[in-house]
Amino acid sequence: MTALSTAETQHGLGPRLAALAKIVELGQGRLDPALVTEAAQLLLRAGDRLKLSSDHTVVALAGGTGSGKSSLFNAVSGLELSPIGVRRPTTARTHACVWGIDGAGPLLDWLQIQWRHRFARASALDKGESQLHGLILLDLPDHDSIRALTDHEAHRLIQVADLIVWVLDPQKYADASVHRRYVTELNRHDAVTVFVLNQSDRLTPEEQAECVADLEDLLRREGVTHPRVVATSATTGKGVDSLKAVLAESVAARRAAYQRLEADLDRLVQRLVKDVPELLRVEPTVDGARRAGLVEALCDAIGVSALGEALENVYAVRSDQWVGWPYARWVARMRPDPLKSLRLGAVKDDIRGLVASSVTAQPAEVDNAVQALADGLTGGMPEVWRDGVREAARSRVDELPEALSGELSEVAPPLDRVPVWWWLLKIWQYLLVLMFVASLAWAGAIIAYGVFKVGRPPSEVLGDVAVLPWVGLMMLSVLGLGLFSAMASRNFVVLAAGKERDRLEHDMRRRVGVLAQEMVVQPLERELQRYNEFFGAMAATRR
Amino acid sequence: MRSAARNTPDHGTGAGSGDAVTEERDAEERDAEERDSGERDSGAHRESPGEQTIAFRAIRDDEAVDRPAAPETASPSSGLGGRPGGHSEGGPAGAGEAEDAPQRRADDADDAEDAEDAEETEHPADEPGEPGERDESDDSDGDPILSFPMPEPVSAALTEALNQLRTAVKGLHFGLDVPGSEEARKAQAAVLAQLDDYVIPRVHMSTAPALIAVAGSTGAGKSTIVNSLAGGKVSATGVRRPTTATPVIVCHPGDHEWYAQGDLLSGLRRLGEPTRDAPAGSVVLTSSPSLPRGIALLDTPDIDSVVEEHHEIAHRMLDAADLWVFVTTASRYADAPSWGLLRRAKERGARLVIVLSRVPPRSRDVVVKHFGRMLSEYGLGEVECFVINETSVHDGRLPEIEIADLRIWLSGLSADDERRDAAVKTTLNGVLNSFRTRLPALARHLETQVALRADLRSDVDAAYMGALTRIDEATRDGSLLRGEVLARWQDFAGTGDLMRTLHLRRGGAKSHQQGPERVRGLKTALRSGLEALVNSAVQQAAEEVVARWRQRAGAGDRLAATPGLGRPSEEIARRTTRTVTAWQDHVTELIRTEGVTKRSVAKLISFDVESLSLIFMIGLLGYGATDAPAGAGAGALPQRLLRGLLGAESLRNISAKARSDLRARVGLLFDEETLRYVDALDSAGIPDEAAATRLYQATYNLEVAR
Repeated sequence: MTALSTAETQHGLGPRLAALAKIVELGQGRLDPALVTEAAQLLLRAGDRLKLSSDHTVVALAGGTGSGKSSLFNAVSGLELSPIGVRRPTTARTHACVWGIDGAGPLLDWLQIQWRHRFARASALDKGESQLHGLILLDLPDHDSIRALTDHEAHRLIQVADLIVWVLDPQKYADASVHRRYVTELNRHDAVTVFVLNQSDRLTPEEQAECVADLEDLLRREGVTHPRVVATSATTGKGVDSLKAVLAESVAARRAAYQRLEADLDRLVQRLVKDVPELLRVEPTVDGARRAGLVEALCDAIGVSALGEALENVYAVRSDQWVGWPYARWVARMRPDPLKSLRLGAVKDDIRGLVASSVTAQPAEVDNAVQALADGLTGGMPEVWRDGVREAARSRVDELPEALSGELSEVAPPLDRVPVWWWLLKIWQYLLVLMFVASLAWAGAIIAYGVFKVGRPPSEVLGDVAVLPWVGLMMLSVLGLGLFSAMASRNFVVLAAGKERDRLEHDMRRRVGVLAQEMVVQPLERELQRYNEFFGAMAATRR
Repeated sequence: MRSAARNTPDHGTGAGSGDAVTEERDAEERDAEERDSGERDSGAHRESPGEQTIAFRAIRDDEAVDRPAAPETASPSSGLGGRPGGHSEGGPAGAGEAEDAPQRRADDADDAEDAEDAEETEHPADEPGEPGERDESDDSDGDPILSFPMPEPVSAALTEALNQLRTAVKGLHFGLDVPGSEEARKAQAAVLAQLDDYVIPRVHMSTAPALIAVAGSTGAGKSTIVNSLAGGKVSATGVRRPTTATPVIVCHPGDHEWYAQGDLLSGLRRLGEPTRDAPAGSVVLTSSPSLPRGIALLDTPDIDSVVEEHHEIAHRMLDAADLWVFVTTASRYADAPSWGLLRRAKERGARLVIVLSRVPPRSRDVVVKHFGRMLSEYGLGEVECFVINETSVHDGRLPEIEIADLRIWLSGLSADDERRDAAVKTTLNGVLNSFRTRLPALARHLETQVALRADLRSDVDAAYMGALTRIDEATRDGSLLRGEVLARWQDFAGTGDLMRTLHLRRGGAKSHQQGPERVRGLKTALRSGLEALVNSAVQQAAEEVVARWRQRAGAGDRLAATPGLGRPSEEIARRTTRTVTAWQDHVTELIRTEGVTKRSVAKLISFDVESLSLIFMIGLLGYGATDAPAGAGAGALPQRLLRGLLGAESLRNISAKARSDLRARVGLLFDEETLRYVDALDSAGIPDEAAATRLYQATYNLEVAR
């Protein structure tokens, strides 16, 4: 039965400790460092204690100087093991008495009890005390004298003992040094704490009753729900047997070590929860709307739609140079150029060079976009985690503008690109011009030869006046064809530019999406995952 | 430790030991006394006639005043919440009382005999060892003792210095939570309380009855000792710890009035009798004829129980006491809090007497020797020490034999004016001496606070200065000419709108129909680019401030946790928009008014101001410094265009103006942001830098006045 309950306790403790380990791992830098250190120490201590003998229960007699710890130690062990005296403080080193020495060695080593202060009750001697088998009784130095200010042995052992017996006396039972530093701090440890009102022989029975009642009242006020108070007198031996019975019960159950660790864990978790009050789960992935929002914001930072518009407009304007009606262009060129008159002709080339430059992203806007995403996701999170998520989201934000520029420059066509069909149309237009010129020459020849008879026409076709209207018609139609094809191809250009723009924007958005996923969303989601793990562990450490 | 292990009463040594009275002081006191007696002879009691009446009534012995005084003292003490009118008031009432005094003295004398009889029949067993001591105190009571004021000029100067000091200390304000500020606040309160409770009244009345505080651990038997000395149950005793919550003053009935209206502990309400739940800030005042005149016992709460308010009360009481009786026990004498109290006594230079109580008779020698050695090691070997055996307690009192030593010592103190005076002076001097270190420590802490505040303030400035620099850089290195701004600029330039902003004059005033939407687009893109830059810088600055504050100990950390400080303020977006728009308008205005076109150009070309200012902004922000050498490459297109149009000189002027204007506007925006941090700092209280200086000055003045 004992083994079963032990296993049960252990069963509950294991996962909780594992969860605590997770908290220590993930909480680094996000929790109060002191708390993390303490948690790590608790883990270490729990690991050590659970490895060491589970058959032994470490019981520490703790208390102020002069309360009679050593006397009580001697009374319980039945031997004069620990020196008692009237000088204060008396005990400087911890004494240990072991009932059943087998396997206790490593535990005593771990407790750092000096060899010469270890005593064993040989089993032959204490036939009647078999119920105490497995008890390691420690007589601690005091924790409140001027010596204890520099010697922390008592404090150390109070932190690690399985069961603490507070030895109080009528004079000192309400001292702040016990209550403020230990009892209030360890007020959830009532399963592994016993209070002894020693020196009860100094009080009359009525006084003792009043005293015990007052002590219990005080303990309850400090949050100890079920205080166990035993009145003893080490000198008269009164109450020592009840204390032994309490000890025997704990020792027989073999659970004090686990209960102590559990109580420590509870206390730590309580403080952790105070440090990180909200226990909420967040969506570990960035949802579609937010992702789209991020891509949109990044596209704005690059100016994708502006680029598209520019592409469309610039193509439309530039196509004039190629597919437009040459005559209109020539006429326009005749107009005086203000830049020329300023002797700033080179600026034109600059403008041409300008449109050839590549796509870039505005770093500040990229930063703001990522910031907005992180802010949107972290509403309601504790401050430290909010910072963490923000950090994660921005972990690569410095490279992001460069990466975006590089990636998109690949797809963005230079604005001065000339498609092949522009060339063909240009040739076609010049061909038409050529035809017009040829027709003009033909018409001229007919007029010269046929009308003015300047000479014998080299060919009949050049002198036949009857052909002239046809030639004129041809000239007109060539001009008309040129005009028409210029208009048509302009429409084509606009249409194609529109398509190009759609394709470009789509392509850019896709690529921006990929980059955003890789450089922003993924680190962010990893952090969110960590956040959930952390709070999962927090929940798991609770009972 | 001279009398530590002494069992038999020894009056002579007890009276003389431990008093380090210097020659000078003796002389001084004699002077004072002579002057005083001179005054008394002439019958001119200008100083505090209220106290003088006590002196007159003190002429007969202790018991004498008991009976007649009882109703009289009861009536003021019942209404002691406020002061009894007649005594605290000045001249006339006091004078009247002085005239009354002889009459009353006669009454007292009559009653005294009855009282003596009654006393002896009533408590014959209770005070076995007393008559002898009484005799001694009777002897000394023969000459008029008690309150004679300090020499006037000294007193006046000192009082003024102390008042000045009090104002200076009161004026200190420790708003920031740095390590040690809690202690500083406590120290400030302690100094203030001590000034009010003790130093100022004590300086007025240097030889008023001495207040002896009985202090020590819980359960050490302070109340039991007080009860035993008072010969009655004046303070509650019991097994419950802590027992005493409200301090109790026990004095001789003749001194009752002085304490009832007294200036000592003036901040505390007087209560007639101990009650279970007396309000904080009160003191029980009671009298007992068993105590000799001229001294009063103050039973204090413990210094080490769970009830921490008791520690504060106890320390306040100690600060107001003339002598400290430190009570510890055989099982307690090594406790850390006890030694903390001893250290305090040493620091304050207070006159100290130690009582080692509850000593088991069989281990008495060992314990006393050990304790004595510990005291010597601590440098307190010279302190008088009394030992009380562990005995049974009846009715909250020890057997008289145990406290005989102590009683003799008290009586000696009561009888020997000079000795009491010396003890009082020692403590007062000790307190004033302790101010030499305690006050500068306070001032230093205040200086730390001032320095920290300055540091925190400079953190804010540094962060926002950094942000301003970042913006400055970003507007110089061309990083602004990216993304949408670049695309819009390409759109604007590539579609020929750029060219269209220039018109030949010859063509007439042809307004450009094309591309106002492109101009608007470019303008918007430029604005949002600039806004994004400012917003991002503000965000970074806010985070940086919090990060920097977190690195500062204590206060910074706390302040950094103020919600909202880690991010820009709510309305920052709106403000930025306003700022940037205003700047753009300003630039347009600059171009319009100051962009004096070169005359040669103006003859030929007109241009659209709106567009040109855009080109100018692009040039200014996108391509960096305007004074780049001409023809520095394709990048400097706007500059070349503008230089061609406006002339290099004019362009440089406008550029400088526009840039500084932007800087000023963003700076203004940042100032508004910074205000939040300043507010957060101010909400913690603004430490007054002059307060430290005032305190140093006041401390110095006090030294001079002494």
